[in-house]
Amino acid sequence: MSAPPESQYSDQAGTQPDRNELPIPSDAELAEMSTDDLVRLGNRIDDIEVVSDRPRFPVPGTRAEKRAERQVAGWFILAAVMGLAFIVIFIAWPWEYVSPGQEGALLYVLYTPLIGVTLGLSVLGVGMGVIAYSKKLLPEDLTIQQRHDGRSSELDRRTAAARLVQTGQQSGLARRKLIFRSLGAAGGILTAGIAVAAFGGLVKNPWKEGDESPLLVTDWKSTNGERVYLRKFDGNPEEVVLIRAGDLEPGSMETVFPFKESDRDDPEHLAEVVRSADSPVMLIRLRPNVTIIKRAGQEDFNYGSLFAYSKICSHMGCPTSLYEDQTNRILCPCHQSQFQANEYARPIFGPAARPLAQLPIAVDDQGYLYARSDFIEPVGPGFWERRSS
Amino acid sequence: MSDRTPRPRRLWARAGTRTRRRVAGFLALGVALLAIGGLYAAFQPKPQTAEAQDTALVREGQSLYDNACITCHGSNLQGVVGRGPSLIGVGQASVYFQVSTGRMPLKAQGAQADRKKVEYDPQQIDALGAYIQANGGGPVVPAEPDAALVGSDLGRGGELFRLNCAQCHNFTGRGGALSSGKFAPVLDAANPHQIYAAMQVGPGNMPTFADSQLSPEEKRDIIGYIKSVSGDTGPVNPGGNGLGGFGPVPEGLVAFFVGLAALIGISLWIGSRQ
Repeated sequence: MSAPPESQYSDQAGTQPDRNELPIPSDAELAEMSTDDLVRLGNRIDDIEVVSDRPRFPVPGTRAEKRAERQVAGWFILAAVMGLAFIVIFIAWPWEYVSPGQEGALLYVLYTPLIGVTLGLSVLGVGMGVIAYSKKLLPEDLTIQQRHDGRSSELDRRTAAARLVQTGQQSGLARRKLIFRSLGAAGGILTAGIAVAAFGGLVKNPWKEGDESPLLVTDWKSTNGERVYLRKFDGNPEEVVLIRAGDLEPGSMETVFPFKESDRDDPEHLAEVVRSADSPVMLIRLRPNVTIIKRAGQEDFNYGSLFAYSKICSHMGCPTSLYEDQTNRILCPCHQSQFQANEYARPIFGPAARPLAQLPIAVDDQGYLYARSDFIEPVGPGFWERRSS
Repeated sequence: MSDRTPRPRRLWARAGTRTRRRVAGFLALGVALLAIGGLYAAFQPKPQTAEAQDTALVREGQSLYDNACITCHGSNLQGVVGRGPSLIGVGQASVYFQVSTGRMPLKAQGAQADRKKVEYDPQQIDALGAYIQANGGGPVVPAEPDAALVGSDLGRGGELFRLNCAQCHNFTGRGGALSSGKFAPVLDAANPHQIYAAMQVGPGNMPTFADSQLSPEEKRDIIGYIKSVSGDTGPVNPGGNGLGGFGPVPEGLVAFFVGLAALIGISLWIGSRQ
């Protein structure tokens, strides 16, 4: 079969070549065609023109060809070696944590980089090998395929549209209003149901519990009249360490969390409470020579020189626990608000407008500090429904 | 019991009973006293104010004090209004922290005393500490080698550091700003004894962490954590630059801009090659 003249379709650029003009072989002719013939035929049908097709090494087995082969194989061998190194390092390298400065710290530090580098080089080797193969060994060919308009012919478009229109008319939906409307109702309600399933969980009433709503109370509230003690956190959430008034030296601060005796055997709750967002309280012992100003209505909230303020900033709710024990200021790291610890933690600088909430504390007959009640105002930033100023 | 005891034996024993009893009693008493004395000697806690009792050391400390510190802290350690606080009861730990970090003697009154070149040698610092300790007592830094103050439970140390220290000093000890020009210093340069002393006395505006708040073991674990994230010469950064130790925000930003720019550059380079 002879190659078609190259200019056969050049004047038709932009449209699909008319298949009727191509010499379509019969089934018997197809069976007799070689691979090369079939490729040529396919190229003609798809409007592909092979400009040049030159093998890189016309004479097989030359030195240059061998060298190119070795270079390609080199990449694949690198990939294999690196892959093997990755497996060995992944399994055998010391991966357990070693502190800096201790023996074996360098080996440990190298673990992650090494598995990354070896696996990366392995993947890179495969990729480079494939690229090198196609650049060095595959025939150097140049083919051009004509681009055509993507639009179907006018005939196809008209007939397809007519089919759709006819189907619509025959269905009679325009005439049968009952079916049309009930179908619309079914579709609409199904859509609404999917929306409910997706977003229904997000709709909540934050005030469902009235005065006990989460924004108004904290874990410091006793639900059954049980005493809520001040507990410190020593790194083990299941270990309960209560605080005595004498544990704090003048000019010191301790972060404390609520603890009820009934929670002692509930490790999950014990761990939860030291991570809870609104319960951290700064227990501060002021120095003896400090002038103290108390807030009206909170005169008996402190115990001697011990004051307990919520750690949650009244501006945006950051943990405001940078306590300066000479100036008695509490700083918030987020927006630089400052609160005066010896003056009911009133704001003296920055964007915060309200004092930090103060927790009323007292000491039981064994010397342990406990909260006399929950905060008398919500902790943290303001919200629309907030009643106290 | 008594009627079961064979008589002849008692008769035989009767002759020397009284003397024997006495001797046995004295012997038992002697052994007991020796044992208690020995036990006491063995388990007696080493007096932590031993240095303060060393009068020669105290005298040396006093002469150093009278030459330098007296200007601001007064002739009787009572302090001078507007210059320096009273040193009665601050303890050897406070002296060790302030002098061994070079913060004292103060160069100039300011928002905060900063770490600078140390003026005194270790022997002189001990003498000054002994003098202050002898006048009012106070916390004392444990007389143990550096390594003994570096705890091994880094997990607990880290947890306690983040709860008590990280708000000011940053979670890898990079320090941070406070009010009116004050700041919490970077913890790299502080040796274990200085960190321990700082927790005991709360220098400057730092709160105090007495042993009732952070036990000696907890203090050691905190030091272990600090030393695991910041070495003597700077932060421990196995990955190179720590980017200020601020965590994922600057790290993500750098990864985004530097990493993405590098990828785009490589893509352009690959695409431009003929």
